[in-house]
Amino acid sequence: MNSLVVLIPLSIVVLIGAGIAFFWAVENEQFEDMDTPRLLPLTDDPPPNENEQP
Amino acid sequence: MNVPGAGCWHCGDTLPPDPPQALVAGAPHPVCCQGCRAAVEWIDQLGLSDYYRLRSATPPRLADPARSRRSADVWQRPDLVRHVVRILADGRREALLSVDGIRCAACVWLIERSLAAVAGVQLVQVNGLAQRARIVWDEQRANLATILHALARIGYDALPLGAGALDDARRRESNAAMKRLAVAGFGAMQAMMYASALYLGAIETMDPAARELMRWLGLLVATPVVFYSAQPFFQGAWRALRARTLGVDVPVALAIALIFGASVAQALRGAGEVYFDSVSMFVFFLLAGRYLTMRARHRAGDLADALARLAPAYAERYLADGSLERVGASELAPGDRVHVAQGMRIPADGVLVGAACRVDEALLSGESAPLRRRCGDALVGGSMVVEGPAILRVERVGADTALAGIAALVARAQSTRPRLARAGEQAAAGFVARVLALAALCAIGWSFVDPARAFAATLAVLVVSCPCAFALAVPAAITRALALLASMRVFVVRPDAVEQLARASHAVFDKTGTLTDTRLELIAIDAAGDRDQALALAAALARGSRHPVAQALVRAAAGLAVRHADSIRSVDGGGLAGVVGKRSYRLGSPAFVLAAGQADDDAVILADDSGVIAIFRLSERLRSGASEAVDALRAGGIEVEIVSGDAASKVAAAARRLGITQWRARQSASAKLERLHELHAGGAQVLVVGDGVNDAPLLAGADVSVALASGAELARASGDVILDADCLNTLPEARLIARQTMAVLRQNQRWALTYNLTVVPFAALGLVPPWLAALGMSVSSLAVVLNALRIGRRTAPQPAGVLTAAEPGQVA
Repeated sequence: MNSLVVLIPLSIVVLIGAGIAFFWAVENEQFEDMDTPRLLPLTDDPPPNENEQP
Repeated sequence: MNVPGAGCWHCGDTLPPDPPQALVAGAPHPVCCQGCRAAVEWIDQLGLSDYYRLRSATPPRLADPARSRRSADVWQRPDLVRHVVRILADGRREALLSVDGIRCAACVWLIERSLAAVAGVQLVQVNGLAQRARIVWDEQRANLATILHALARIGYDALPLGAGALDDARRRESNAAMKRLAVAGFGAMQAMMYASALYLGAIETMDPAARELMRWLGLLVATPVVFYSAQPFFQGAWRALRARTLGVDVPVALAIALIFGASVAQALRGAGEVYFDSVSMFVFFLLAGRYLTMRARHRAGDLADALARLAPAYAERYLADGSLERVGASELAPGDRVHVAQGMRIPADGVLVGAACRVDEALLSGESAPLRRRCGDALVGGSMVVEGPAILRVERVGADTALAGIAALVARAQSTRPRLARAGEQAAAGFVARVLALAALCAIGWSFVDPARAFAATLAVLVVSCPCAFALAVPAAITRALALLASMRVFVVRPDAVEQLARASHAVFDKTGTLTDTRLELIAIDAAGDRDQALALAAALARGSRHPVAQALVRAAAGLAVRHADSIRSVDGGGLAGVVGKRSYRLGSPAFVLAAGQADDDAVILADDSGVIAIFRLSERLRSGASEAVDALRAGGIEVEIVSGDAASKVAAAARRLGITQWRARQSASAKLERLHELHAGGAQVLVVGDGVNDAPLLAGADVSVALASGAELARASGDVILDADCLNTLPEARLIARQTMAVLRQNQRWALTYNLTVVPFAALGLVPPWLAALGMSVSSLAVVLNALRIGRRTAPQPAGVLTAAEPGQVA
């Protein structure tokens, strides 16, 4: 019982953290492009992207 | 991915004899045309030739580069640009492009990388699913035209979308849906965890304080699910109620409110069962199903986009002094004289006033062969000039054009679509009504017997009869079916399409582009001498021509040694004449070649001065899987017919090859719709498969419509189901899954109903011990979810093939 009192609130804090992280990812368009990232490791040398701004 | 020698290195098209060579990293590769060559070499120069290694699909054949450049140049005009470019707060410009020809992830990569290399471009976001790209640039160093140029150079045709699209309702919708789904998923998992503790605690012994804690924790995690994730259902229900209708959302919202409300009451009372896990799971499954259909809808596109794509954005108008000016298509007025270059779309309805030309109306009328138009003939906006140029006098613009008429027909057909009450919806509505009636009865009954126990008993009825099993029975099965179909590249836009697909009794196919490819193929050669030699001679004559018959002959002759032909002369509507190795030959229709009309009009004849050398028979190529799909549908008891806009002889030939007896030819969009009404009047449930603009009203009016992803956007936007695979084979498979889904759904509902009817009376009387109720509840929900997972499993022997690509493990 005592362990529950500590662990359950802890799990809820972790859950809220995960939720916030997911919301952040959605807002910052991390899910915008689900296609290209999987190809990136296969390319040789990415060309310089001096134009691109984050 | 490229097989050397199989086709063009860039687009995979058939190679002409003697193909141009493109140099990639010093090594030559054969390509089909100069356009592809320029694209390949440019991609190599940018250092992006990895594209050829990474791609999993070939792009469409390149448009004429000069034409792409011309259409890009238009966007230098500030008055046109104003409508499509948004100026950001920091002075940068933003535009949303609809990019044609994105086929796989490598395309997305290529576009992002090559645009990022354009000076001044600061942000490139490509959405391969929606075929859109969002671009932000610095107007000092780049402009819209340079960006479109850069796209054209690597072989993509792009069209800026109106500034209204920039608000990007789609992206906001998709983001909100993702967040809601995540909250529901997290909540459901947590609530399930606390519920398992309660279930186990009912069998073992559990500290009452711990039990209390678990109840409150369940409430804590289910609250955001109900108040945040389930919002769309409540909003939808509210809208429906205000409009005095009962949509799907009303019973769903009521069920959510009932389960949640009753569970909250139990938690407050500190006794009885709580169902926070069921309500969260219910919301999660419903949202998952909605998310899948939303993605399919985004893929299908919408009507406004589709129209924007069909009609060109600008036109070349003649000024009084005979020079040309470029204007937006919307600025045209009746009476204007317009020049349409070869390979361009006609901007408005009008009359041909210049020299004869040839136009392709396949998407508009279903006519497969390009049509010859002479001075004075009518031209339809949206059709393409295959052999030109064409000079036309504009007669009708905007809402008066044939194209706009078809769009209006689509809208009308959609609104009059016979709507059957959906099985799921009906069951849910009936269920809610029964539960409410039962609860009311219970409350009234107990208030006579023992008013003190009335509240508890009523609550027990509500809680026990709002079980996970019932809530899960329908959504779990539908969601499973949607995911399974999506993994077969069959995208369901409207969820009740699954049900309609299972019920269809008639199938109506369009011919051109659906059952057949628009390209011709050579099916037979009757020759006195050597066939290959005759074919090689024909190809020598045909090589320079853009006529579809000539191109089919050249394709058929690939691999043969084709000689060079001199002094080739082409005769309008007749054929070609030329000299090969000092002998003169003629190739074309019997009337032209033999100077005498013959009945055998479809044949193409090669002759020299001494007589006929060979007769070639050409026919439209059947789409891969077309005959298998038709056979499978017919074996499934569906009556198949063809309703086409093409000429009778061509429709009859295709019908014969597919073994279809019912067919209609020369049907306009409204005639097709009339045929549909006839079938409906006969009580038929009609499945329509089509791809063209002229099919769009038919698709919109059908009980369930299947559009091909390769077809016109207007058709895709009016389809319930989008077949993305190039093969029609997936259609009978999809129907099989739909039927299985309906069977599982009915089993699930029957099971849930039986279970509840058995348990509710005992629960109302307080005769069910808590541990038994808990056990029964979890076993019952497990049973329906496992039953839903059976969908897609092969039970009976099925035609082998497509399903192997969709093993359960691969479903996302």
